[in-house]
Amino acid sequence: MTHREIELQLDAYVDGELASEDARELETHLKECRECARRHEARVALSAAIRQHVPAFRAPDALRRRVRTAVRDAAGAPPSRRVLPPVAARWLALAASLALVAVGSWRLGTSRAGEDALAGQVLASHVRSLMPGHLTDVISSDQHTVKPWFNGKLDFSPQVYDFAGRGFPLIGGRLDYVGGRAVAALVYGRRQHLINVLLWPATRGSVSGPGVATRQGYHLLHWTTPDYVYWVVSDLGLAELHDFAQLLQQADAAASGPGTARPPP
Amino acid sequence: MEPSELERFEAVVLPHLDAAYSLARYLTRNDDDAQDVVQDAYLRALKYFGGFRGGASERGDGRAWLLAIVRNTAYTWQRRHRGDALATEFDEELHSDAVAEQHPASALERDAARQALHRALDRLPRELREVIVLRELEGLSYKEIGDVTGVPIGTVMSRLSRARRRLHEALGAEPEGG
Repeated sequence: MTHREIELQLDAYVDGELASEDARELETHLKECRECARRHEARVALSAAIRQHVPAFRAPDALRRRVRTAVRDAAGAPPSRRVLPPVAARWLALAASLALVAVGSWRLGTSRAGEDALAGQVLASHVRSLMPGHLTDVISSDQHTVKPWFNGKLDFSPQVYDFAGRGFPLIGGRLDYVGGRAVAALVYGRRQHLINVLLWPATRGSVSGPGVATRQGYHLLHWTTPDYVYWVVSDLGLAELHDFAQLLQQADAAASGPGTARPPP
Repeated sequence: MEPSELERFEAVVLPHLDAAYSLARYLTRNDDDAQDVVQDAYLRALKYFGGFRGGASERGDGRAWLLAIVRNTAYTWQRRHRGDALATEFDEELHSDAVAEQHPASALERDAARQALHRALDRLPRELREVIVLRELEGLSYKEIGDVTGVPIGTVMSRLSRARRRLHEALGAEPEGG
């Protein structure tokens, strides 16, 4: 294989688009060829940098209204004011909650609508992560590999724990973008289920939670410690997800040391 | 249009407004143009919605389908308004010295990295820029990117590879061989 061919495969590999046989062959090559291994790391770092620094734009509210009106006009529908069909009502609610996010992420922790919008984004992150090639930027069951991977990619250093001994093995981590900021995403497994843990630094040390939400069959738990905002999402049963959250809270409280943090209620 | 059909359109296509605007914004590099392109694209999408077979359960399909229309609308738009569309938008806030002075060093470095990436992305030919946006920001699969841009998967693969190599080099890393 030429270098150019390997480079092509490398990109497909990073994107999770390489057939598994080719992927295995490439992995063998990466172990042997230091240059290609370096190139692989550079590609992963570049993807992470793009996701961190290049934002997906959010449509301005004015455009939202404009498009809606234009579509209704063109479809010859009356501009219904009184009774909104359920779908439209949901759409408006979504637009309203997204508008709240745009106002500023510092309000998210306190406002109910903000929490709803965040739940939507957390769920979107989870569903997106289940698509091929999106689960992890760093694949490792070793917390001492995953934690340093985040260095320099985020403006904080997330705690990473492995709960393999308790039936929740660490699978890996990735960067994600939620609530208007780059966040750490940690992925855990439970039998055939996947759990996403999203976390970012808490503002002004307001402790809260745990809150529970269920959307489209997924359960979401969230709480705020003096240090971090945590969101946990999975299709796992709620009882088991609570068990997992408790493990996480205990580990976190122990790691924070005395005087800096209390275990959340 | 039947009310139920409009409702289906609103359920399947309207939720992708952010993705549509984001792609239009990166293709036109301008907020006003992007808004016009998106409105145009939605009206076109409405017109051709009857031929779209994805159901409400296949959100991903609705998105790729809409993004293909946004892309074509943006390119038609740029051909029509050539002069304006080529102007690159400069983010005043990011480039202002006054703002830079208030930032601690680490934030400055982050801003520098962000600026370098944005510049590099802006300078990519649009065929390469769009694959980066569709892949990294929208998370589309190679197949979906092929559907949106109308090229075979092999071309998607080589364009992504070329785009990343250029970004990598533009960010000051040593040029890659091969």
